[in-house]
Amino acid sequence: MDLQKVLSEAAALCGPSGHEESVAAYFAELFRPFVDEVTVDKMYNVIAHKKGSGPKVMLSAHMDEIGMLVTKIEDDGSLRLGQIGGVDPRILPACRVWVHGREKLFGTIGALPPHLLSNEDRENNYRMDKLHVDVGLPAEKVRELVRIGDLVTFNNGSTALLNHQFAAKTMDDRACVAMLILTAEKLQMLKCDADVYFVGSTQEEVGCIGAETAAFAIDPDLAIALDVDHAATPGAPASATVPLDALVSTIGPFIQPKLEKRLEDCAKKHHVKLNSAVAGRWTGTDADEIGTARAGVPTVLLSLPEKYMHTTVETIDLQVLEEGSRLMAHFLSELDAGWEDDLWI
Amino acid sequence: MDLKTLTELNAPSGHEQALRRALLEELKARGFEPTIDRMGNVVVVKPGTGDAPRKRVLLSAHMDEVGLIVTSATEDGFLKVTTAGGIDPRVLVSKRVLVGDDKIPGVIGAVAIHLQSAADRKHVLAVRELSVDIGAKSKDEAEGKAPKGTYISFDTDYVEYGDGYACGKAFDDRVGIWNLLRILDGEYPVDIVAAFASEEEVGCRGAKGAAFAQEPDIGIILEGTTCNDLGDVPETQHVCKTGAGVCVSFMDGASIANRDLFKKTLEVGAANGIPHQVKNGTSGGNEGGVVQRARGGIPTVVLSVPCRYIHSPSSVIKLSDVESQLDLTKALLKAL
Amino acid sequence: MIELLKKLLAPIGPTGMEGAVAAAITEEIKDYADEIKTDALGNLIAVKHGKGPNPKKIMFSAHMDHIGFIVTGVEKEGYLRVASVGGVGIPVSRTRHVTFVNGVHGVVVKEPKEGPDMFKDLFIDIGAQDKEDALSMVSIGDVAVYAGDVFPLGKNRWASPAMDDRCACALLAKLLQTVGDTQDTVIAVFSVQEEVGCRGARVASFAMEPDIGIALDVTGWGDTPGTTQPEIKLGEGIAVKIMDRGSISNPALREELLVCGEKAGVKTQREVLPYGGTDASAMQTSRGGIPVCTISIPCRYVHSACEVIDMRDMDAGLKLLQEYLK
Repeated sequence: MDLQKVLSEAAALCGPSGHEESVAAYFAELFRPFVDEVTVDKMYNVIAHKKGSGPKVMLSAHMDEIGMLVTKIEDDGSLRLGQIGGVDPRILPACRVWVHGREKLFGTIGALPPHLLSNEDRENNYRMDKLHVDVGLPAEKVRELVRIGDLVTFNNGSTALLNHQFAAKTMDDRACVAMLILTAEKLQMLKCDADVYFVGSTQEEVGCIGAETAAFAIDPDLAIALDVDHAATPGAPASATVPLDALVSTIGPFIQPKLEKRLEDCAKKHHVKLNSAVAGRWTGTDADEIGTARAGVPTVLLSLPEKYMHTTVETIDLQVLEEGSRLMAHFLSELDAGWEDDLWI
Repeated sequence: MDLKTLTELNAPSGHEQALRRALLEELKARGFEPTIDRMGNVVVVKPGTGDAPRKRVLLSAHMDEVGLIVTSATEDGFLKVTTAGGIDPRVLVSKRVLVGDDKIPGVIGAVAIHLQSAADRKHVLAVRELSVDIGAKSKDEAEGKAPKGTYISFDTDYVEYGDGYACGKAFDDRVGIWNLLRILDGEYPVDIVAAFASEEEVGCRGAKGAAFAQEPDIGIILEGTTCNDLGDVPETQHVCKTGAGVCVSFMDGASIANRDLFKKTLEVGAANGIPHQVKNGTSGGNEGGVVQRARGGIPTVVLSVPCRYIHSPSSVIKLSDVESQLDLTKALLKAL
Repeated sequence: MIELLKKLLAPIGPTGMEGAVAAAITEEIKDYADEIKTDALGNLIAVKHGKGPNPKKIMFSAHMDHIGFIVTGVEKEGYLRVASVGGVGIPVSRTRHVTFVNGVHGVVVKEPKEGPDMFKDLFIDIGAQDKEDALSMVSIGDVAVYAGDVFPLGKNRWASPAMDDRCACALLAKLLQTVGDTQDTVIAVFSVQEEVGCRGARVASFAMEPDIGIALDVTGWGDTPGTTQPEIKLGEGIAVKIMDRGSISNPALREELLVCGEKAGVKTQREVLPYGGTDASAMQTSRGGIPVCTISIPCRYVHSACEVIDMRDMDAGLKLLQEYLK
């Protein structure tokens, strides 16, 4: 699998929460060669099943992205925006977007010229409801092509940076979906008894909805959620960030401690660098909902560090992504029937 | 096993192992066959004496208490922490704690009053500004003793004092745990599922799983609840009073009591002369919320022991209220 | 429709005490459903079996409960201290007439205090002489709602405190009464405790295992002075929800419903609500997950004592849903 190509293609797809159908179709085909069965469920979750006789494991990484939608078409043809998930309005001025109307329209988000700004203006960030999208068409044409609720997604390519770093939108969390596909690929070379369900989940950004229902449907014995975590950047508080160059395992009440220890031991054994982070309460990932599905699912969280989360230049380290798939493959391969012994003692 | 022993065990949310082990031992000694489910709940099923089909009643009390977790160590050997469960950071300053399973003693200090500016004196120290000091001299030493993710509990012993009061930590919800153990000694017409539940303080995660797995007909939550019955608080904001008996909730942030069950509980209390009070407040939330919403819905009622200074190292209860919770729960189980 | 609506606006049904509303609805629908039951939380569930081969199970949910004030304490002088049940606004509640389930009347008053509005500064004056007198009229845990009131506004509009969500209850009851035989199975849920987190719809959808979930609820408005969002106007048609804070409607289902509106020849509006949530939020995560959407009745001054709807939008909603079930 050509990782950079897959990440670039995946990032270009339109899939804000609740609208992941095309992303699901894309990833479904990539999983297919490495598993026994691939389905897309009613919530647009991709569920790739590699059958086995051992413990039933669910791995989940979300496919949805934060995005916007049209809330109003002004008389002058400009479009007002609402948000799906947590969009930082600071990234919007002068941002190029796609408006997914009856046709896919190029648009740009207007910003006032500096000449016209008062000192007070300059001191305040734009609010989303004060911004508009300009699609360069007369109002009547806009009304023909665009309706309230049409999606608006970011339009920017991807970029390779120095030291195998890679920047694009939606690396949160399509990079982790790619990690799952690499895991499935690597598992072909390894012995694996586990009954593995790779899930590309939906609506994570609005409450981990796809993972919650997928976990109910799959009813796994244990689960691993994969998501991004904040990598250290200038200005970000050190206590809330991790180094970019290594995977992270979370510790805390929402994480099953013995299973977490197993993950750490596996990383050590296979020389995969694994940092840890602590979450005193919710982790804000699929792990939270999967953990309490049905009668409860022992769950761990593996994170891929990412710079500039929820922007158009989310930046990850491709080698860390590869390492993550190596760790997951070994973890699954070494998962024996005794995994549950003394889990809570 | 008594209340003192129970409260002096450390079981912060997500790390209830010490209490879980003690309960397993105790329950086995009492002739039960406890199991541990996927959420780490300790579960005992006790068949009723009534004719089949019998109602199945889930009794839930949570094992966990609020605590701290180590997030990192500073270069000079202090531990930085975050909370597991809701703790007002103002109660942490100048307290003793026990770090990890080896119970390494630690203290939470603060800059001396002499060194504070006028502004400092007004400033509330946030958890991120506090450190746990175990006497380590370096980051390496601190991390060696208490690596990231180590749980920390209050170092508080149990003291009985005054007119039938007790002061200690974790009354929320060791009173419920203690009563659940004592309830299991009795015989009831209904089938009982006793869940010694995990992780209530971080979102009632244990009880959610138990309620789904056990499919009860009725849920009864045994809790400790807030009580502001001293000081400057107007009477209508006391929530409940110590010494006035077990507290029955009509509503809180997580659930609205099943009205029939709520009324029945009050009737049973009155008929048996068991001291009880209606909780005068709707704040907070507990396992009633997740149990009520399990599967196709479960009628639920919450019975709480009033607990002053809840979620602090020194909470206070009146022991007679604990007995009222026991008595009313037993009487209710017989009347269902 | 208005006569039915008036009947369903009459009962007092605060969140958690919806029994009287359920009784009134049962009267209206009992001849039009194959099964009617009430579950452990008080949801009223009516099932109409589909006549087609392999009928799908379509759950509609309209909530019966109404926001209110729950008594948490009584002052020595006989004033009631209260907490909110659901999202009650303080500014719109000041000096409002409220009634308890047992018929006791009260006036909501706020202490003259500076600073932000706090619920602890509110009290209800029920005319009691003292605490004992008050407790002879109401008990701790009793709930009051804005007093019943229904009046017309202009030609097509009606105002009432419980419009959210009794107008949707009336719409759903009317749908049952008029739809006749359907290919798919209709599960009409008149739900409880929506205002405190859609608790009723959650358990009902678990129990009924629908294939599709459609919530019926009111939505906000953007057509009075000083308002802009959402882009929803009263009298301009029934709204089909695209998203709110609680759920994102399944795009295919949403478009299907909009097409049904077109086929039925009624006006529809596309709704993006930047706040709020409906029973759809609870239905979507039921079991393995189901596609959901919300049919919204535009409503001004939601969560006040004068919630205003336009009956033309109600009729549009009814026709759209009848078309959908064809």
